[in-house]
Parts: sequence; structure tokens; C-alpha cells
Amino acid sequence: MSTGNVTTRVLGIAALATSAAVAVLGLTVTPPDVVQGELVRLIYIHPAVSTIAFVAFGVTALASVLYLVPRTRARRWDLLAGASGEIGVVFCALSLATGSIWGRPAWGVWWTWDARLTLTALLCAMGLGYLAVRRVDLPVERRSMLSAVVALAILFVVVIDHYATEWWRTLHQGDTLERFKPLIHGQQLMTMLLSFVAFGLIYGWLVIHRFRLEQLEERVETEGLDHALAARRAEAAEPGPAPVSAGAPSTMEAPRP
Amino acid sequence: MSQMGYVYLGWAVTGVVLAGYSLRTLLRGRKLTRSLPPQERTWR
Repeated sequence: MSTGNVTTRVLGIAALATSAAVAVLGLTVTPPDVVQGELVRLIYIHPAVSTIAFVAFGVTALASVLYLVPRTRARRWDLLAGASGEIGVVFCALSLATGSIWGRPAWGVWWTWDARLTLTALLCAMGLGYLAVRRVDLPVERRSMLSAVVALAILFVVVIDHYATEWWRTLHQGDTLERFKPLIHGQQLMTMLLSFVAFGLIYGWLVIHRFRLEQLEERVETEGLDHALAARRAEAAEPGPAPVSAGAPSTMEAPRP
Repeated sequence: MSQMGYVYLGWAVTGVVLAGYSLRTLLRGRKLTRSLPPQERTWR
């Protein structure tokens, strides 16, 4: 009795196995870095977590576009957008947290108003706003349309955030995995790539469960409303109390002076 | 705090947040699935 099935179980086991492999490799097997020392071990979490946050918001935006286009409009796209959006906020918050934990020993500060950091914080805040819009008390169709538009605004920030280290001079380092010439090699590169697989599998597992949960929540909400309406109609159809006769004492008499 | 202290802190925060969120999602799904008729409780 849950939102799982064979697919999610296989995905979950694969996610756990790869995460365990990344933890063993990242914390014990891979060597410290010449420049960053032991702090390089955070590279096996932070970039993958940040990338998954971008992917999650990207999926939210894509599903929102599919919902906004009349030809492809279906409830499932809105539910997928909501599911992925919530996971995106979790990963975005983790990106900020792990980045801050890395920044303290590397830069000497927990936080700085650097372009990349500020945009990621803005992204996180917009993600929370998106989730808030999804809970606004409006008709379902209107609420879904409104949240889809917010999702597109989030995608705009994702793109700017992605290129922030190229477009502005930032304290945040550039891409470690630059195309065709990565800045790390050997075990470090392999472990970092494996971390993307591990967090990708976690995202896949989570999004399936969260999507099914969205379906259940919507169904409970709709059926709950149907039950309430049926009860109200039944109540209205019942014969009312007998009219009070002129001579009978009223229970609503005005107080006497 | 040593460098490894920050490393363990980062890994711990990530593990705890993801495990907590996963558990919350699973428990909520389990609770809502119970409200369905028995024949509709499996996912294909």
C-alpha cells in the first residue's frame, strides 16, 4: 500500500547502490586535491545537487509548456510540473546549503552576494513562490495556468544562473566539467560523474513517487469536494422542521425588560 | 573545524534532507493510498 511498484523499487535500489558507491569513493578512495585539499570531496555532492535542481525546474517548465499548449493540455502535465517543482526546491536548498558549507573554509565566508549565489537564492525563493501559487484557493484550471506561467519565469532564471559564472566575474568557480577538457581526472572525474548518475536516479525515484502523490492528493481533493456537495444537496432535499403555529411559544423571543 | 569536518557536514546535511524528504513522500503516499478502494491500490 504505497506509491511504489517494481519500477520504483529497481530505481530505488539502483539509487541507493550508486549513492553508497559515491560515498565510499568520495570519502575514502579518491585522493585530496593539490589546491583544495580535502574540500574537493564536496565536489561529489554540490555540482550534482545543483544540476539536478536545474533539471527539476527544467522538467517543471517543459511540463508547464505542455500544459499551456491547448493541443497537449492534460492534467498529468500540471501534476508532473508540481511534483518536479517541489523536488527542485529541495535540491536548490541543498545546493545553497552545501555551497555555503564549501564556501566557509574555501572563501572564508558562509555567504557572499556573488552573481551565482544570489541567482540560486532567487531561484530557490521563486521555487517556493511556485509551490505557494499551486496552493492558492482558485479553480483548478486557473491555478494550473497561473503556476505554469510562474514555472516559465523560473526557467528564465535557471538559464541566467547557469551562465552566471561566464557572464559576470564571480567568486564562484566556473564549470569543473568543461566540454572535452574537464579540470579533474582519473578517480576524481569518475566519482564526480557517478555522483551525477546517483543523484539523477534519486531524482527519478522521487519524481515518480511525488507524481503519484500529486494524483492521489488531487483525487482526494476532488472526491472530498464531491462528497461535501452530495451531503449538502442531501441536506437541502430533506424536509425542513414543521412551521411554528401562531399560538405556540417561540424559543426566539426578544428579552423582556 | 577541520576541512574534513566541513566535508562530513555537507554530506550529512544532504543525506538527512534527502532521506527525510523521501520518507515524508512515502508515508504521505501510503496514507493516501489507504483511502482508495483495494482494487485501485496498485500502480502499473
